[in-house]
Amino acid sequence: MTALLEVENLRVTYAGAQRDVAAVAGVSFAVAPGEVVALVGESGSGKTATALAIIGLLGESARIEPGSAIRFEGRDLLRLGEPEFRDLRGRRIAMVFQDAGAALNPVMRVGEQVAEAALVHGERDKARARAMAVAMLDRVGLPDAARQARAYPHELSGGMKQRVMLAIALLLKPSLVIADEPTSALDVTVQRQVLSLLLELQRESGTAVLMITHDLGVVAETCSRALVMRRGELVESATVDDLFHAPRHAYTRELLAAMPRLARPVPPG
Amino acid sequence: MTGSALVAVRGLRVVHRSAGLFARSAVTAVEDVSFEIARGETLALVGESGCGKTSAARALLRLIPCDAGSVTFDGTDVLALAPEPMRRLRKRMQVVFQDPYSSLNPRHRVGTIVAEGLVVHRLASGAAAQARVASLLKEVGLDPADTAKYPHELSGGQRQRVAIARALAVDPEFIVLDEAVSALDVTTQAQVLALLEHLRDARRLTCLFIAHNLAVVQRIATQVAVMQRGRIVEAGPIAQVFDSPRHEYTRTLLDAVPVSDPRDPRALRGQQAERAQPAVGVANRQ
Ligand SMILES: Nc1ncnc2c1ncn2[C@@H]1O[C@H](COP(=O)(O)OP(=O)(O)OP(=O)(O)O)[C@@H](O)[C@H]1O
Ligand SMILES: Nc1ncnc2c1ncn2[C@@H]1O[C@H](COP(=O)(O)OP(=O)(O)OP(=O)(O)O)[C@@H](O)[C@H]1O
Ligand SMILES: [Mg+2]
Ligand SMILES: [Mg+2]
Repeated sequence: MTALLEVENLRVTYAGAQRDVAAVAGVSFAVAPGEVVALVGESGSGKTATALAIIGLLGESARIEPGSAIRFEGRDLLRLGEPEFRDLRGRRIAMVFQDAGAALNPVMRVGEQVAEAALVHGERDKARARAMAVAMLDRVGLPDAARQARAYPHELSGGMKQRVMLAIALLLKPSLVIADEPTSALDVTVQRQVLSLLLELQRESGTAVLMITHDLGVVAETCSRALVMRRGELVESATVDDLFHAPRHAYTRELLAAMPRLARPVPPG
Repeated sequence: MTGSALVAVRGLRVVHRSAGLFARSAVTAVEDVSFEIARGETLALVGESGCGKTSAARALLRLIPCDAGSVTFDGTDVLALAPEPMRRLRKRMQVVFQDPYSSLNPRHRVGTIVAEGLVVHRLASGAAAQARVASLLKEVGLDPADTAKYPHELSGGQRQRVAIARALAVDPEFIVLDEAVSALDVTTQAQVLALLEHLRDARRLTCLFIAHNLAVVQRIATQVAVMQRGRIVEAGPIAQVFDSPRHEYTRTLLDAVPVSDPRDPRALRGQQAERAQPAVGVANRQ
């Protein structure tokens, strides 16, 4: 199968106030269509920088070093002009940002922001787009979705804002969703609900998911392959089964050993 | 227990009123919430997303007004305190907000942010303050060279640790941690939890720990309160509540905790595949 996304020798450098930071130092991986791949690793290891490089949203202080390549659906993303990139971002690649509070437009009702996604995806009728938005907010478990759609981001709790971001990504039905810590502010029941929605989308629309997360339970629940980053480098790439049962790199073993596991009493009998 | 509680919350009620253009709306986020935390204990507040945990914590710290109820800290009526004693009390009660980015001043460098409390409360200055900042950053796994950076130059988890270092800098007696370790990789998370446990043992630090990760809660908390729709539905010692939950919602929560092994048959991935296959399975059997 040809890859949907190919990242080759990606190097991202931030020009810092004192010195440059090599946030991503030569990372290569591929994601097949419809595949759910975890990107895990140390805090500050370059996961978000990798994601931002893929969707072309690294800030001005960052530069992608020569020799890096990112191909998506056969196109060289590093040579794409901004108008083409903007088009690609809504329709083909959607990103759920790590900081949902900062990513949402503070002066626009959340329902309108979700409805915009429906409009980008091809819906022409505004009222219908709004109805689709409310329906999707309901599916991601926002209670009283019709009323909450009228709220502004600051009126919602952390996990509610995260679900608004997810609703936007799900409505776009892109071929790749990059989800950066998409469920870190959700209680486990809602988390289960949205993860299962994400997998439903993956099966129905063939959407691939690059799931950035610190929660190894989420990886075990949803991903088939995992990439492990540390200090800007990819130290391990394995199936999730191998990751948990035959980890090769010492850092991966360290992660697994530190994974908090809920101890439950053994059921009687 | 009442006598020894450092923090006591009684009948707390928080209503968010927003004045819209055409209509006023009111959301009752917290309703009749009561709990106590004895010195040196860690109370975890868990529950539904949007059930009022952050609202309760903010009201308890008097960062937002509450509509009913009382809060006492070390015997003092917090809600009735005049501005000056309240300012002094703030040194003893610290908070790490759920949203680390918006709680860090974007125009200040990390060093200034972490030292802020030391300066405001006149606890240290100059070289002493710098040394304290450097040692705190190390304790939360950050590079002391990060003091020169601005918040936007940091990753999500690095920001979260700056907020933790800032809160611990003034050596508080009580700390509210609102989803404060959720953006950390598990090894760094373990390091921060160990630091909190150390402070609890060595200095009897008291915590209100808000989190969704129940495995983390099981490790760090001594007591737990489960919230749903603004109310506490179950509370007690962590072992009691997690081992023999009495409320339906607590059971639902515990059952929804993610598996810790991809081979676990309850993993969503496997279930989805199964649900996708029944047509084939049925056809084969016939
Ligand atoms: N705008 C920026 N300017 C300078 N340095 C930055 C900037 N953004 C990130 N960095 C640095 O680049 C490195 C990688 O950051 P990145 O955000 O990709 O980490 P991450 O793996 O997503 O971490 P986390 O899990 O904590 O979110 C970090 O050392 C960080 O301090
Ligand atoms: N400033 C505000 N204005 C209006 N409503 C608000 C405001 N802040 C919170 N709310 C509402 O109050 C309720 C409780 O929110 P709160 O942030 O306390 O929840 P939470 O338990 O912390 O959730 P999470 O786990 O998702 O962070 C929600 O229904 C939310 O929409
Ligand atoms: Mg990140
Ligand atoms: Mg909250």
